[in-house]
Amino acid sequence: MSTDNTPPDSTDRMPASADPAQAAQKSSRRDFLKAGGMLSLSSLMGTAALMAQTDEAKATVEWAEHFQKNYRLMTDDEKNEARIRLERRHSAEYGKKVTVDTSAAQPGVLMGYALNIRKCIGCRRCVKACVEENNQSRGTRPGERIEWIQVLRMERGEFSQEKMNQGYPEGLGIQVGGNAYTPAGQVLEGQYHYTPEAVPEKDATYMPIACMQCEKPPCVKVCPVRTTYREADGPVVIDYNWCIGCRMCMSACPYWARRMNVAKPVLPKDEMNPVTHYLGNRPRMRGVVEKCHWCLQRTRQGRYPACVEVCPVGARKFGNLLDPESEVSLILARKNVFRLKAELNTFPKFFYFYD
Amino acid sequence: MNRNLSRTLILALFCNVAVSVFAQEAGKQEAKETVCFESRKGASEITKREIKPGLPNIKCSATTDAVLWYGDPYEGTVPMSKVPLLDKIPEGNAVVKPRTEKLSLVPTCTLACHNGVTPAGFPKHKKPVPIPTMEAMVPEVKDFQHGRGRIWCLDCHHPTKRNLLVDHFGDPVSFDQPQLLCGKCHGDKLRDWRDGIHGKRIGEFASTGKKRWFVCTECHNPHNVQNGAHQRGFTQLQPEAPPQLPFGMKDAKHEKQHPIHH
Repeated sequence: MSTDNTPPDSTDRMPASADPAQAAQKSSRRDFLKAGGMLSLSSLMGTAALMAQTDEAKATVEWAEHFQKNYRLMTDDEKNEARIRLERRHSAEYGKKVTVDTSAAQPGVLMGYALNIRKCIGCRRCVKACVEENNQSRGTRPGERIEWIQVLRMERGEFSQEKMNQGYPEGLGIQVGGNAYTPAGQVLEGQYHYTPEAVPEKDATYMPIACMQCEKPPCVKVCPVRTTYREADGPVVIDYNWCIGCRMCMSACPYWARRMNVAKPVLPKDEMNPVTHYLGNRPRMRGVVEKCHWCLQRTRQGRYPACVEVCPVGARKFGNLLDPESEVSLILARKNVFRLKAELNTFPKFFYFYD
Repeated sequence: MNRNLSRTLILALFCNVAVSVFAQEAGKQEAKETVCFESRKGASEITKREIKPGLPNIKCSATTDAVLWYGDPYEGTVPMSKVPLLDKIPEGNAVVKPRTEKLSLVPTCTLACHNGVTPAGFPKHKKPVPIPTMEAMVPEVKDFQHGRGRIWCLDCHHPTKRNLLVDHFGDPVSFDQPQLLCGKCHGDKLRDWRDGIHGKRIGEFASTGKKRWFVCTECHNPHNVQNGAHQRGFTQLQPEAPPQLPFGMKDAKHEKQHPIHH
């Protein structure tokens, strides 16, 4: 164990090994660090007091959080301790009873999502519902407003005879109609900031995108601290306490799904959703990455995600892929389905369909 | 004499409607409640309240008055009647929100005009003719498009019982179960709706879980569903605010520039 020789203050954010075989070794190192901490208790209390000068209880909590393991390596007792710690801290901070769920994936459940792109009218209600549910930052200054779902407005193409010989795809637009030698024309790339009086507009289609919950997620491959991983029932989740904010996952994600808390998150007390999950919508800190997790705090309890419930046209569908009678299974069996950027072999669990 | 009588009747009807509308508005102002619409404006609404301290039943959009979040998905619902060919859902796990009591014109129409008797001057054949009284009360009937002129009011509405619909066998259908009527023509959509592919449900996602089903008319307005200004069968509505612009960007005009003019 070569890492034992390094001083404690430089190893507090060392990458945890996700390999179960190395778990024992890892925990022994943590025990060593804890033992060292107990020995030099007086100096540590001094450090803790420096870290948070307000009160001793808060400092102890932060100290304990600082030394907790990666969520996947925690025992059930340690998870419970972390849950109680978080519940106490958030309840005090937001002035209401906050629950932090730590329920694990249930056998026989594999979550899947389907979206009817013919139905979507681009009203952005899913975007706002997601913010209400998942405790995103909602300030006004740059970087303080975070939304996980993006709705792309796309121009509709045209296949008229007059336009057959016009335009050549050399700009940023998307070629529509014709072939590589005689394209029919171009439409705009997706627009994020469209603000019409009323939607749906006549010449537009809308395409909402969020985390695709890939089966082979590129973000998980690149994470240097292995804090983001795929749960057994589908969603790719993040243990926010282990995130170092390096943003490797953000550049690896081909679907622009991940967001960074560059500023301290702004979350008003009365708007905070007190029903949270440890890997889901518990309040985040500055400097960590977050993303859609299919409302784990709801779906682990059997509820639909918030965006599904709020869609006014019923374009969003959610269900258990292992249940042949579920909505998503029936869609996969009956409708025309595609996955975004399927050529990247990420195998998303998010399907687009049309009828 | 007869004409005079009918004129006075129409006048009385208008007064009645106007009074009831004013009464409703006054009631709303007194309570000062937050009332938000669910799927489309004018179909179904929910009043905001607290279930538990700090947990509201709904959260509303400040810009559009639309429901954005459900704390209690089953509020104000009743068990749905049996759906044909669907016996997998346990009893009571499919619920709908009753709509009959929300229909503002039904009390007036059922009692004053169509009180179980066929009105005088009722056409013998089912040929669409404009009815001025109805057009005055329900403005969207003027540009009625459903069926493109081939069907009219009495193909769906019961001739003598105004709080009921009627299918094309003449059997009455409740306003709470419009799928039994709509599905007579739109059978493919009824099948998809039965299986959860078409339409909206909220509640538990398991296929046998308790869900609130949204019925046809909660999302579609059957009178002007084909309007040219409307798209995909839905009434146009105001969108929510766009995302935050990236740091340093003044506007999003670059998104609208065509790279190549054509």
